[in-house]
Amino acid sequence: MNVKIPTINDDVSDFDRLFALWEQLNRQDLDITFDFSGCRFLRQNAVAFLGGLIRLVRYLGGNVRIDDSTFIPDVANNLAKNGFSGIFSGKAFVRSGNAIPYREDGESENVSLIAYLRDQWLGRGWVHVTELLRNRIIGTVWEVYANGFEHGESGIGIFSCGQHYPQLRTLKLTIVDFGVGIPANVRNFLGEPNLPSDRALEWAFRPGNSTKPEGMGRGLGLDILKQFIKVNKGQLEVFSHDAYALVDSGTERYLTRKSYFQGTLVNISLVCDELHYCLSSEISNEPLF
Amino acid sequence: MSLVKVLEISGENAVAQEDGQKVYERIRELLKSGQDLQLDFQGVKIFASPFFNAAIGQLLKDFDADDLNRRLKFEHLSLVGQEVLKKVNENSKRYFSSSEAFKKAQTEVIGNLARKL
Repeated sequence: MNVKIPTINDDVSDFDRLFALWEQLNRQDLDITFDFSGCRFLRQNAVAFLGGLIRLVRYLGGNVRIDDSTFIPDVANNLAKNGFSGIFSGKAFVRSGNAIPYREDGESENVSLIAYLRDQWLGRGWVHVTELLRNRIIGTVWEVYANGFEHGESGIGIFSCGQHYPQLRTLKLTIVDFGVGIPANVRNFLGEPNLPSDRALEWAFRPGNSTKPEGMGRGLGLDILKQFIKVNKGQLEVFSHDAYALVDSGTERYLTRKSYFQGTLVNISLVCDELHYCLSSEISNEPLF
Repeated sequence: MSLVKVLEISGENAVAQEDGQKVYERIRELLKSGQDLQLDFQGVKIFASPFFNAAIGQLLKDFDADDLNRRLKFEHLSLVGQEVLKKVNENSKRYFSSSEAFKKAQTEVIGNLARKL
């Protein structure tokens, strides 16, 4: 089966195109060729998602070939620079430019993941932040991966890719798993099978809410990320099932949409020269308990 | 006063719950034996809530907050670490001091969400 990969930006409608591909290919024993002849460019969300989709098809007993003769030069260069072609087509990895490597994590491996966020995503000279703020960002984003491993039940891991957009002064990162999704976990935990997806996602963002609360307080990761994004004028989007969350400095919206993706996709945008996260100088004088 | 060096347990990334659990077990044992404790974060750079949930937040099921403020001293904990820890402790206090009430509040939230429909 020939599957045409379109041009994919990272507007909401572009995510719908990715989710339509997932709907089409999430089945057993497919034999597929990805045809990029209609693709002018792919953003980091598409690279992370397509990588995961290839792994999903193979996990389901199928096969995916990439017809790299259909690449236009810009797409070929981009996929070579972020390592996607090296992994899936055996092409040489040409690290350069504004590309940030495509990454697959089968299990939680903190040291290499944190090194990726520090050296490949943040640390290439395009974001000027203090070491303290850099470490703050890394810990905050690491929580997204931790949530994916703890709650996602993906089976095939977590897929991510970043991109620096110098003209937009923006740094992006997409993290996607192909697991059970946030609304399913929340509904199961609350025993509310009819809870709408947007309400389930809103519940998951509230501090202290966790679907695995046994033994200790949890459920802070999404709230910490949300607060960081708001203060830094960034943007956070979460797609899971038909739920969609959008957070920026002036917005916090939870919607139920028409398109559906069973897993969870997190898309983070940081404005490179707007990072000014303020740490309270008074906090050290207060009791910590 | 006993000294526990977090770097020796977690390395420079204090993020994972598993590492936090190791720290918790060490701290709890020392505090239960009556010793005061210095928890040293020298060299630890990255912090995330799962580590603190297990390492520190859990102590609130064994000891009260005043007791911990008096007996457990934090050294070389960066402002980033303090900020995450503060959130974790607030959340853990809520969890352990009124876990039944907290669960009830969660149920009420769901009721409110359902009424919005």
